[in-house]
Amino acid sequence: MGSVSPRPCVLIAVQASAPPIPIQLSGWRRVWREYRALTRDPIYFIALLLAILFIAIAILYPLLATLAAAISPAGAQTLADVLRRPVYHRIILNTLVMGLTVATLGTAIGFLFAYVQVRLAAPAWIKRAIHIAALVPVVSPPFAVAIAIIVLFGRSGFITSGLLGLRTDIYGLPGLTLAMTLSFFTVAYLNLAALMRGLDPALDEAATNLGANKWQTFRTVTLPLLIPGLAGSFLLLFVEAIADLSNPLVLGGNYTVLATRLYLAIIGEYDITAGAVLSVILLVPSIVLYFVQLRLVTRASVVTVTGRPTGRPQVVTDRRVVVPLVALALTMVGLIALIYLTILVGAFTISLGANNAFTLRNFEFVLLGYGAKAMFDTTGMSILATLCAGFLSMVIAFLVVRGRFSGRNLLDLGMMMGIAVPGTIYGIGYLLAFNSPTEIFGLAILPKLTGGAAVFGGALAIIMVYVIRSAPAGLRAGVAALQQIDPAIEEASISIGADQATTFRRVTLPLIRPALLTAMIYAFARAMTTVSAILFLTTPQTRVMTQQILNETEAGRFGNAFAYVAVLIAIVLLAIGALYALIGPRDGKGAAPAGRPLTAAPESSLAP
Amino acid sequence: MPRSLLVQITLASFIVSACALPAAPPTPAPPPASAPSASTPEPAEPKAPAAKPEKLTVLCTPQEDWCQAMTKAFQEQFGIQTSYIRLSSGEALAKLRATKDNPEFSVWWGGPVDTYVAASTEDLLEPYVSPNAAEIPSEYKDPNGLWTGVYVGALGFCSNREALSKLGVEKPDSWEDLLDPKLKGQVAMAHPASSGTAYTAVWTQVTRLGSVDAAFDYLKKLHQNILQYTKSGSAPGQMAGRGEVAVSVIFSHDCVKFADEGMNMLEVSFPAEGTGYEIGGVALIKGAPEPEAAKMWIDWVLTASAQEIGPTVKSYQLPTNPNAKVSERSVKLSEIKLVNYDFQEAGKNRKAITKRFEDEITTAPQ
Repeated sequence: MGSVSPRPCVLIAVQASAPPIPIQLSGWRRVWREYRALTRDPIYFIALLLAILFIAIAILYPLLATLAAAISPAGAQTLADVLRRPVYHRIILNTLVMGLTVATLGTAIGFLFAYVQVRLAAPAWIKRAIHIAALVPVVSPPFAVAIAIIVLFGRSGFITSGLLGLRTDIYGLPGLTLAMTLSFFTVAYLNLAALMRGLDPALDEAATNLGANKWQTFRTVTLPLLIPGLAGSFLLLFVEAIADLSNPLVLGGNYTVLATRLYLAIIGEYDITAGAVLSVILLVPSIVLYFVQLRLVTRASVVTVTGRPTGRPQVVTDRRVVVPLVALALTMVGLIALIYLTILVGAFTISLGANNAFTLRNFEFVLLGYGAKAMFDTTGMSILATLCAGFLSMVIAFLVVRGRFSGRNLLDLGMMMGIAVPGTIYGIGYLLAFNSPTEIFGLAILPKLTGGAAVFGGALAIIMVYVIRSAPAGLRAGVAALQQIDPAIEEASISIGADQATTFRRVTLPLIRPALLTAMIYAFARAMTTVSAILFLTTPQTRVMTQQILNETEAGRFGNAFAYVAVLIAIVLLAIGALYALIGPRDGKGAAPAGRPLTAAPESSLAP
Repeated sequence: MPRSLLVQITLASFIVSACALPAAPPTPAPPPASAPSASTPEPAEPKAPAAKPEKLTVLCTPQEDWCQAMTKAFQEQFGIQTSYIRLSSGEALAKLRATKDNPEFSVWWGGPVDTYVAASTEDLLEPYVSPNAAEIPSEYKDPNGLWTGVYVGALGFCSNREALSKLGVEKPDSWEDLLDPKLKGQVAMAHPASSGTAYTAVWTQVTRLGSVDAAFDYLKKLHQNILQYTKSGSAPGQMAGRGEVAVSVIFSHDCVKFADEGMNMLEVSFPAEGTGYEIGGVALIKGAPEPEAAKMWIDWVLTASAQEIGPTVKSYQLPTNPNAKVSERSVKLSEIKLVNYDFQEAGKNRKAITKRFEDEITTAPQ
């Protein structure tokens, strides 16, 4: 195969390669000197220290606490139990099957959307519709889709029973696959679209000049170049799917997966050890897949471009390709539109499906009644988390890209752990780590953050979880943006006398503003829609909307649940508008391109 | 420890000044340092001498809207800021267990008393004999005041008329009717680990069939027809109301509630062999942060007027106070057959039974 032979391409590892370059052990003295040099710029040094401290406390400590509980004697007993009993084998198998199905289908749909968006000749309105449809799931909580699916496709669903007269059974794997694929495919779409845009059209042209037809070009040039993106998307979808609690609780039927079992162990029995064991089992496939993905990506020795691609990408105009693909994509768009329409209608209905009378009672409940506190609490905590995540991700991106000290890639990796690990693990980890004041050598550094009598009713822990779950995407956007800025600009600033902090503030920050916008939009949306990581952390003093939605859904009060979802989406859209107005790009350009495949940095075109 | 307190305060001032956190309570709760580990059940806590209590946090197990109506009425009547969290029985027990060194709640209201018995065997409840308990018949209260009954309800079948007729199945009036192969995937009940309703259903089988083993044989057969074990006890009724399943096993008052709220396909029936029933309880939580307000709550919920609030939000449980007016939508216990339900036994075996259910039933092949 000629296509694998060396091509005259320049590598840009950042776009798609494996993360960390471990510390070179060539000389501890060198490292020592580097760090001593750091201390000369105190603000710089403090930023580094803060970043390290945050990663250690908010990410690594709870992770280690979970691991420790899982390998404690009691945990080992449970683990042995899990490995021995066929019941658990079934649950694990269910989980894997579900994860693989959702990851495959979600990546496929993401690919379809991205391909239609970037590579097909289609009318602009279609592309716009596809883009919007793909981004809606980012701003809505996961179970929004699940309940709409019950109403539409359930036993007495509008479509299946009402329109088609079918007796279907969506509970279990089919429903889960549908709901999760539609909730999670956005990540794949954004990654692949960014990657496709970044491909150098010269490659396709070269293939065409050498006599390849479109299909051959696609198969031997385009597809191999997209492997890292596909692998990364697959991995992220897999992790999201197996860690998701809300969909299995609503739609699982008796298809038990690890996440639901884990939820019951904690909620029903408060058996944190069992929870820790199950969550560590959840972690294993994620880690294995992560390394498989890493290998795939490095072996494909990914390739993109020197800076910006030159020329326009080749666009497919062949109707035999365009028509079916666009039709397929539009069908998906229609399905998504139908689902969100259902949510909107359901919010104004007494009990959609059982009693379709119009009512405002649901909104009264959410806006004025019991739900109001949850709404304000969640929004407030999300705003704080957004500020922290935006700041933190830019500072760490700066340290990672511009820093000249060994081990800075570990900062990157540490931060990425926040998203690469299933959210439930943090939920349990925080319970284990912060249920009593945190002490180091007898010195209390943190008060009790979770459970009864926690500071701020547990709000601090929830904000921390929001930050660790949302900062990684911002970090990627920041890294990608910084890498495109010539350090010479900053050096110039320093050479005329500014210190590192001033340079960052006056020179770098304005340049990476689009990335900051992306980071903050994503952080806010992510915080508002986080479920599995915070379910175990809420207290009577702190109410979280996503948990309220889950309660309403679980209790079958779909009207209230729909109203909550509608309000939540409205808040997120408003916030995006506000962020756009505050720090939006002044020159009309979009945000920085999404970074490495292991991320979900939505573009700033998220804004309405 | 003073140091952690110091940190707490520094942190508090930092965050409050930085961003005026909306969730932050005015005072970050009593410092954990004062939490007694093995104190005696004295009224204790002389820190607020004779002052009127200011707030109360209720652990509430019945339907959300009833919790709201009750806390609102209490707050208006006594001027005590009252908030609640609704948790299913099993969740409530788990939460109490998890936070027993630092309880978040002061009083637990509603939910079958089996779970209260289970909680008291784990020393999570504080005895309190309310002066108003004298009005409550003795079969509806614990002699030691560990719990007092606030309502009574009977388990029933809540079916969707239309779904049944589509399947060609008659309205069930026997536990055996639920095993009809035509009902495969058409029955829903909650999970006994999280739901008190479902636990009542499971213990009813134990009582009715005479042994735990026989009960599990029945549940194993029933499992073949179950679509989903939900977390919350009344959720199966909602599923039936929407036609997702034909039959659900829930408390009959919840079925009437859903029908009244617009799910007009629902109807209640009772098993001829006898059905289980619940006494909904109220209890003071051990180490309650607001013991005085909690006692006021208990005194109040035993009164006839407080027990008449339920029907205003379509919660038709029977009141335990004989002076309370009974809604005509409530079940008439004299017209149905009840099993001889032993709440003490049920409560003591709760842990073992829910564990066995999880191990043997939920994951069994269908």
